[in-house]
Amino acid sequence: MSGSEIFLQQLIIGLSNGMIIALIALGYTMVYGIIELINFAHGDLFMLGCFAALTLVGLLGLDHITAGASGMWFGLVLMLIVVPLFCGGLNWLVDRFAYRHLRESTKLAPLVSAIGVSFVFMNIGLLWGGVPMKVFGLGRAAAAPKDFPVLVSNANLLGQSAVTFTIKDLMVFGVTLSLMALLTWFVKSTRAGKAMRAVAQDRLAAQLMGIPVDRVIGQTFFVGGGLAGVASVVFAIYNNTIYFQMGYRAGIDAFTAAVLGGIGSLPGAVLGGLVIGLARAFCDQYIETRWTNVLVFTVLILVLVFRPSGLLGARAKEKV
Amino acid sequence: MNLLEISDLIVRFGGLTAVNSVSLDIPSKHIVSIIGPNGAGKTTLFNAITGIYEPTSGRIYFGGGEVCRPFRWTTALTLALIGIIAALSLVLIVNVESLWDTAITANYAYQQTFLWSKAAGAVFRYFGEEPGRRVIIPFLIGALVGLAGAYAIWERSRRAPEVAARAGIARTFQNIRLFNQMIVLDNVLLGMDSRLRTRFWHAALRLPLYWRERQESEQSAMEILRFAGLDREAHQLAENLSYGHQRRLEIARALAMQPRLLLLDEPAAGMNPAEAQDLMKLIHNIRDRGITVLLIEHHMPVVMGISDRIAVLDHGEKIAEGTPHEVRNDSKVIEAYLGKDD
Amino acid sequence: MATRRTIPFHWSFLTVAALIPLIELAFPGNHHVGDLLRPIFIMAMLGLGLNILTGFTGLLNLGVAAFMAVGAYSYAILTCDIYPFRLGFWPATLVTVLVGLTVGLFLGLPTIRLRGDYLAIVTLGFGEIVEDLLKNLDSITKGTQGINPLPSPSVFGYQFRPETYQPWYYLFLGFLAVLVLLNRNVLRSRIGRAWISIREDELASSCAGINPMKMKLLAFALGAAQCSLAGALWASYLGSSGEPGNYDFQVSIIALCMVIVGGMGSIGGVLLGALVIMGFNSIVLETLTNYLKAHQLISSSNAFTAPGNWKYMLYGLALILMMRFRPEGLLPSRQVKAELHPLEPHAPPPSPSP
Repeated sequence: MSGSEIFLQQLIIGLSNGMIIALIALGYTMVYGIIELINFAHGDLFMLGCFAALTLVGLLGLDHITAGASGMWFGLVLMLIVVPLFCGGLNWLVDRFAYRHLRESTKLAPLVSAIGVSFVFMNIGLLWGGVPMKVFGLGRAAAAPKDFPVLVSNANLLGQSAVTFTIKDLMVFGVTLSLMALLTWFVKSTRAGKAMRAVAQDRLAAQLMGIPVDRVIGQTFFVGGGLAGVASVVFAIYNNTIYFQMGYRAGIDAFTAAVLGGIGSLPGAVLGGLVIGLARAFCDQYIETRWTNVLVFTVLILVLVFRPSGLLGARAKEKV
Repeated sequence: MNLLEISDLIVRFGGLTAVNSVSLDIPSKHIVSIIGPNGAGKTTLFNAITGIYEPTSGRIYFGGGEVCRPFRWTTALTLALIGIIAALSLVLIVNVESLWDTAITANYAYQQTFLWSKAAGAVFRYFGEEPGRRVIIPFLIGALVGLAGAYAIWERSRRAPEVAARAGIARTFQNIRLFNQMIVLDNVLLGMDSRLRTRFWHAALRLPLYWRERQESEQSAMEILRFAGLDREAHQLAENLSYGHQRRLEIARALAMQPRLLLLDEPAAGMNPAEAQDLMKLIHNIRDRGITVLLIEHHMPVVMGISDRIAVLDHGEKIAEGTPHEVRNDSKVIEAYLGKDD
Repeated sequence: MATRRTIPFHWSFLTVAALIPLIELAFPGNHHVGDLLRPIFIMAMLGLGLNILTGFTGLLNLGVAAFMAVGAYSYAILTCDIYPFRLGFWPATLVTVLVGLTVGLFLGLPTIRLRGDYLAIVTLGFGEIVEDLLKNLDSITKGTQGINPLPSPSVFGYQFRPETYQPWYYLFLGFLAVLVLLNRNVLRSRIGRAWISIREDELASSCAGINPMKMKLLAFALGAAQCSLAGALWASYLGSSGEPGNYDFQVSIIALCMVIVGGMGSIGGVLLGALVIMGFNSIVLETLTNYLKAHQLISSSNAFTAPGNWKYMLYGLALILMMRFRPEGLLPSRQVKAELHPLEPHAPPPSPSP
């Protein structure tokens, strides 16, 4: 492959992965915007979504269908409905039982609780890998990575070109962009979305306006979780391998993206996700894979030192 | 002689202008009150003076100078040092594997003696081979990032609250902010902290300085508590104190800082007339010790009873200023509090 | 000095610990209690380091294992025969502590102005980076093999051997006791007070004249130094630097559980936490696993039956439940305070707020 072809290829890979990171980052940033809590368990929620998707694949027998058959598209759509509902619901439950009563307490308590939830999720992922289903290797090696069957064709849409842009990439782009449009419409135009923005801006004022704050916060967790669920499905189909510790890395990448873009800002999360995705792809190619994580971390530190409000974030002053 | 001079201060939060071009002079050893309806910008003004908010524009002069960390030659030295360390670190990090290989792995045979001079020579040769890529570029990048980063962090902390505190401005808060998990005595000792000289090794090894300073500081702290009338509760947890005593404790902690200017934010809130009288006596005693007092208060008897001068804020602007008598009869003030007859 | 009515837990712990090997000698048989306690001492030291950062100053650090790794690998590089340094036990330990201190400062400097939750993620990332670096710089760190073998230390002329555990036991206990003493001294001084004030209310603290940046840096330096020391001792105990995977997120969370369950900011709490968490980890889980294996209740094809596979869940639940029901921990530091400052008999009873 020529130099420019390599560059283009990495661009595609970077953007695709970046979109997945962006989806996860959106969930982070929505929850942070509303209760100023970093939901540590978000990355692990994403991981559980992947496992849920694989379970669905196993139950529907999708691993036996050849890619392209109509059953496959049906299965895909079903996954894109069930998994986000699952993740959203789980996230809602977590808020209800682990965070809600800690709203007023010191800043450390909800954080520590979130870490606890993250660990519980990780363990669930570990045990889930041991479920005696064929997709999970019949429960033989619970902790081992699981293969996700190739459901979407790897065929290159660009024909004979050295650069590959497959249906998978198209799917990633399609799902992510349409979801972002949907989210923007939701936050700007629906009543629930406006209530979320109100609570994010000023919780007390929103309460005085009659907005049921706890319910809105729960809804935010649900939507944020749903986004993670979509990201899980897309990731699993795109990358074809899942393991119970993947939430950790995904969480850090997504958090870095959210901070880079400006935490609390939805377009910021998208921008941040794309930048991180591209940075990872280019670092993998032009420097060395083993330094990619260091690069992401360095980006995080640089942003937090030089521009903590992020690229698109507002420089908010804390009222005392 | 003015201890504090506020000139054309503007504090804006996004679209909201909380303080709009306020100018105020506080003469030394006076008691000045700031009054006004809620939301008039009084606490914001305090926060700007003590460095919690950064003014959008305007100046605040305390004791003749601005309240910010000066850029001294020691600051430049520290920044330069951090830059150099960052630069050297980056050179090391970028080259660490190759350095290790050429210096150590190549020259060391298991359990033989290691010739340090030979290794040093190898290191110099390694750097000499490709000085640009291996030394100069990482050094420059590291120095740049290190310097810029250190400067960014320093710059953002120039007007931090501790700077105002050490310059001699102490304050209390509208919603009491005590250290509830600590006892009363410790709260006061904390106020003194900036003047203590015990370092962690004195404490760790219990050197004589630790014992001496502990005894002296506890004595001073008890004295302050006696002054504030709290000495009998010195070993109670701060959160167990009565509301009125908690307010006094906040004042005691502020006094422990040996300030020249004391900012009290609604000290009489929630007090009954007897407690308010005691508070007025306390404030007078504080002034008699040579401390200038600036007070936000709604409790009119207190305001009228102790102020030398009063400034009135409404909607972020100063609408009146003068002696208690002048202010009481100012039509604009009456209008701000009671509304206009339409 | 105020009279103590009860002996602080940390002194009773240390005293009992000092007596255990002697008790064991008196009762012949393979009790192995002392053997099992050694890692607990080392993890307790890790917990003490985290206690300074999180328990006292309120800086949530999710990557203390990284400091421990730095300590272990530094010690290994300095003492192993395959590298030219070949330092003795004391010089190697000293250099390791200094390295740990420096790394702590490196992490602390760019992060001192960060809010709590941001700092937590940064420390998480840092832990991951250190693990990555240790794996990738394999010409220095020998990658996943680790650096070994390490010579057993020679302390005050006495040559340690891996077979007899008692000298190791007392060495670690000695280090732990010294650290407990030093920690207690620093924490009960203006430094400790300043740290607590930053944790409770950083704004009020800085308005009172405390420089949060300096105090946080100090916390980082001292906390990291202690964690690195724990790492060095761990390496000497293992006779190896261990592999990078040994210092992962799980270790950091165990340390966090120790501090949270035991009691934030309380030395006795950390020791109790170490006993409970590590005791559970090494003793209870192992015994349970062995018992189940013996009764053939564990099957390799059923992941749900292996007790070890429930570890994460239990740590996670421990954190959640503690925050819900007893956030101050099992042995809270206020109790320690109450031990030392009995209420003055003539103090007026606290009156309700008006």
